[in-house]
Amino acid sequence: MVLVVLDHDGNRLRKGSLEALTRARRLAEAFGEKVAGVLLAEEKAPVEEARKYVEVLYTATLGPYTAERWAAGVLKAAEASGAKAVVAPSSRQSRTYLGRVAYALKAGLLEDTLDSWAEGGQVYATRYAYLNRVTEKVRAPLPVVLTVKPNTTPLAEPLGGEAEVVALSVPEVPTVEVLERLQEEKKGVSLTEADVVVTGGRGMGSAEAFKRVEELAALLGGAVGATRAVVDAGWRPYAEQVGQTGKTVQPSLYIALGVSGAVQHLAGMNKSKYIVAVNKDPEAPIFKHADYGIVGDVHQVLPALIEAVKKLKD
Amino acid sequence: MPIDFSLTEEQRQLQALARRFAKEVILPVAREYDEKEEVPWPVIEKLHEVGLLNAIIPEEYGGMGLKMLDEVIVGEELAYACMGIYTIPMASDLGITPVLLAGTHEQKERFLRPLTKKPALAAFALSEPGNGSDAAALKTRAIRQGDHYVLSGTKMWISNGGEAEWVVVFATLNPELRHKGVVALVVERGTPGFKAVKIHGKMGQRASGTYELVFEDVKVPVENRLGEEGEGFKIAMQTLNKTRIPVAAGSVGVARRALDEARKYAKEREAFGQPIANFQAIQFKLADMLIGIETARMYTYYAAWLADQGLPHAHASAIAKAYASEMAFEAANQAIQIHGGYGYVREFPVEKLLRDVKLNQIYEGTNEIQRLIIARHVLAE
Amino acid sequence: MKFVAVIRQVPDGESRLRVQGDRVDLSGATMILDQMDEYAVEEALRLKEKHGGEAVVVGFGPERTEEAIRTALAMGMDRGVHVVYEGFADPVAVAEALVEVLKEEAPTLVLTGGQQADWDSQALGGALAEALGVPVVAWTTALELEGDTAKAKHDLDEGAEWVRVRLPAVFTTQQGLNEPRYPTLPGIMKAKKKEIRKVVAAVSPKVELLAQEIQEKARLGKILDGKDPVAAAEELVRLLHEEAKVI
Repeated sequence: MVLVVLDHDGNRLRKGSLEALTRARRLAEAFGEKVAGVLLAEEKAPVEEARKYVEVLYTATLGPYTAERWAAGVLKAAEASGAKAVVAPSSRQSRTYLGRVAYALKAGLLEDTLDSWAEGGQVYATRYAYLNRVTEKVRAPLPVVLTVKPNTTPLAEPLGGEAEVVALSVPEVPTVEVLERLQEEKKGVSLTEADVVVTGGRGMGSAEAFKRVEELAALLGGAVGATRAVVDAGWRPYAEQVGQTGKTVQPSLYIALGVSGAVQHLAGMNKSKYIVAVNKDPEAPIFKHADYGIVGDVHQVLPALIEAVKKLKD
Repeated sequence: MPIDFSLTEEQRQLQALARRFAKEVILPVAREYDEKEEVPWPVIEKLHEVGLLNAIIPEEYGGMGLKMLDEVIVGEELAYACMGIYTIPMASDLGITPVLLAGTHEQKERFLRPLTKKPALAAFALSEPGNGSDAAALKTRAIRQGDHYVLSGTKMWISNGGEAEWVVVFATLNPELRHKGVVALVVERGTPGFKAVKIHGKMGQRASGTYELVFEDVKVPVENRLGEEGEGFKIAMQTLNKTRIPVAAGSVGVARRALDEARKYAKEREAFGQPIANFQAIQFKLADMLIGIETARMYTYYAAWLADQGLPHAHASAIAKAYASEMAFEAANQAIQIHGGYGYVREFPVEKLLRDVKLNQIYEGTNEIQRLIIARHVLAE
Repeated sequence: MKFVAVIRQVPDGESRLRVQGDRVDLSGATMILDQMDEYAVEEALRLKEKHGGEAVVVGFGPERTEEAIRTALAMGMDRGVHVVYEGFADPVAVAEALVEVLKEEAPTLVLTGGQQADWDSQALGGALAEALGVPVVAWTTALELEGDTAKAKHDLDEGAEWVRVRLPAVFTTQQGLNEPRYPTLPGIMKAKKKEIRKVVAAVSPKVELLAQEIQEKARLGKILDGKDPVAAAEELVRLLHEEAKVI
């Protein structure tokens, strides 16, 4: 069996789960195995949807997420399915609890992979290293734990059947006690999954100026990003920070407004398909990394961009 | 002793600290203070916090006891970000050095220890409006009256002169005695009759404060005299023999910056359909810069090593200072040339390098004076 | 109390990387204490300053890693342990190599960076926690000790939460947790005299590195003049729609 960890928001599978399924199916095919799913829930989970994608579905309701509970759930499912490979969508949470899982299984951990395939009984993968600047090819014998970088893989289609659902009994493990959840204000798509990211830099000048950034992001169905300088200035929350010490994004379209293009920022977005830069300084390093750009005052260009996009949509 | 060109583990750490400090603390504000022509106190405070200010004060007086080689390693890094800002701690060391060379234990306790406790500076006052290079022709008078001297006269071009806690002032007891009549006195800030007037409109190194110091019948206690009467000139010369070496180190830092900026620009800027770095005319300039940087750094290290070994170093420090400052001026000049018109405007950092490093050819003894020292060494044989 | 920071040495993000053959060549790169690990060192120091005890830095990597350990000592850590290993090792193998040292140290808590700036791994905290059989709090932004527990704020995929955890535990660190101090000159001088114990690592990598390459995506570089913002914006939107087909 190849076990795929199905991430979800309580109601629906996340896009990343469908990418992980595609990868899991490729491995399963190469090994002549089947794909089992594990669906871990705090309270509820999209069991009916998940059944359509796998041959066996393991479920467990574990209460508030903690790395320990989720690791225990995945380990239990791996044991129940006899899986030698665990595939999961890559996220900060999954990369933490799967660190536990990989250690427990003494598995080769292939993190945040761009692509993966099996050959001669081993699993190969490509991934980024050195802050996204280097692409490397790695290999591990079974067992492996593999995470799939968002927006790298075609989405899986349902199999056309309905898997048997097996409820796991996951043992209690020593873990943290969740005292208080601080929910982010949900504003459209999540930054790491977004297909369009509109980022404002120090050149925006103020927190208020980000209203326009939000407006453009919303128009394009994208997420708002920020540079470290902006987060340090307190204009935007850390959750929106793109870069070495923030999030790594790889959207189809990345729009950098008033961003100079420090190496640390580039590390978080330089793999985007198209990069657009608006900056008043023609020498700003960001232009070296841009597909399209406008040299001009962001306070004049941004409203004009919003109008132009509106016009296109009409 | 075998030749060893490697830095110690501590020196590498020190270099890393200074490099990071330069990049994170100095570089972001260098342009601003250059334009404002103001002393960057927040930078001085931070220098004190990390232990890089007045670090040549020995450990027994609360300092770090940095050797000359340590100091030049730091100096190159700080000057890379801004020569003008580096001049502030460098000029403070210049003020401290005569106390180290000629001060008594009590004087070191009194004058040096306070400089390790808070962000504070020292200064060195030798030049006068009517004489700079001819240091023995002092006009500032000191007249002994009982347990104090009465000091009167004017000193010129004194770095840190208005900020310093105290200034080592060189004065003559009797002008006819020329250098044999000189006395070194520590004058504390706030002493009645002592006034510092900031000199505005400098071409470069505008972040460092340069002052005219006016002494009107200033009473200086005899306990503030360094060494004996008549030893002042020797103290001044011994001091400068040492402190010229950090000027050389700063010059190397400026030249390294010039090369980095020139390289960056040459690889980005295109002409005739290709980056200008592809042209030999540009490549030769870059190569010449590196030749200058490497040789100047090596020689500066050598001069520092001599000083640290207690070996004669007067001519070596003169060679290092003259060679490195001229090399750096030319590197800055060529960096501007490579930038073309962009090099001539303030949006790019290279014009500031030239303005700043010009002073390295002038202060702590003009390069002409350095050549006199070197020539004296040549002719002595 | 004993606070342990697990650190590694990585190339400075701004230094230029080269590939020789099919491997990244670090011989010319400026190597630094991983900036994410720096938050771990700073937090260990703050905890020690507040609660007393000892702050220990445990470094993993080749001989040159000693420089990064010295940096941590210069920041104020009391002593160091260097688990020496040349070459690439996956986080599971690193955790295996460190587990004995960490068990011997029996720390109150272990801190390490949320992500490694060379291997881009985020798993070391989780793997170490599993190795030690203790909970992990990932991407910590606030940490307070309360008796034999810690209260911590940390980031989730979406949002954040406050948790309480019985110690010992592993915390992964990041920007926002603190502002790392400089390794001061007095610190550098004192670090000279501090002990670094060398341990030869028993490492059995689970993952093999086959090849590395630097792929710089070629960019189109079509830069428009924004003197007329409306015209430039309209042209940009047209290009994105018709040429790039992304909107």
